[in-house]
Amino acid sequence: MDFLKTISVAASGLKAQSGRMRVIAENIANADSTADKPGVDPYRRKVPSFDRHFDRDLEANVVAMGRVALDRSAFRTRFEPGHPAADAKGEVKLPNVNSLVETMDMREAQRSYEANLNLISATRRMISRTLEILR
Amino acid sequence: MSLTGSPLISMLKTRMHWHQTRQKLLAENVSNADTPGFQPKDLKVPTFAPSGAVTNASLVALRTDPSHLAGASDRAGEDPRNARRFEITPSGNAVSLEDEMLKVAQNQSDYQLAASLYQKSLSMLRTAVGRRG
Repeated sequence: MDFLKTISVAASGLKAQSGRMRVIAENIANADSTADKPGVDPYRRKVPSFDRHFDRDLEANVVAMGRVALDRSAFRTRFEPGHPAADAKGEVKLPNVNSLVETMDMREAQRSYEANLNLISATRRMISRTLEILR
Repeated sequence: MSLTGSPLISMLKTRMHWHQTRQKLLAENVSNADTPGFQPKDLKVPTFAPSGAVTNASLVALRTDPSHLAGASDRAGEDPRNARRFEITPSGNAVSLEDEMLKVAQNQSDYQLAASLYQKSLSMLRTAVGRRG
């Protein structure tokens, strides 16, 4: 039945968005994870990617979490000579996580998740309306 | 007049199939709302002849060899022009979630209308054969 396929397609969207949420949570949780000795890199921000492929069973383009890449941008630095990870100049490398960017990403993932949920509930109402014909 | 030969019932059946397929296509658009380079799609609205047959059903050329040129759309009845491009993000994604939600709601209520009409015409047939329905 096509409606069950619809729900499967929307569920693939739910799964991809929740995987994205997991990566965002990891970034936010590690926003201040410095190294414990000088010369070692702190936490590097992870960037989730989406991968679209054609599912032959569902006959539809479904989405899945793709490879999680590392953000190549420069680390933030802070002057803190007493820190165990401070270099000769007293600079400490901090992760390249920008909490504003992460919050925006999180909101976007939340909206897309809600849109997929909305689609599932609309499809369920259509299925129950179809079953009402039999009554 | 056979039951399936009645133009009203066969038109409603086509219409309900159309809404089902459209719902699946809308699910595809929504689930790919953050996929880079994805373009939303929609279906052509069917038009009917007085006999109940669909007049604008489209034929799709099958590719029997991978070296053949691919057409604009690989599945029957798809109409990329009907999906309005509201905004395109820098990643090349053209899905507007608001637009898709509107279409989902409209598709749902249109489907319910078609289902109610189908139910009514079935109960009319039941009345005609002498049973209260």
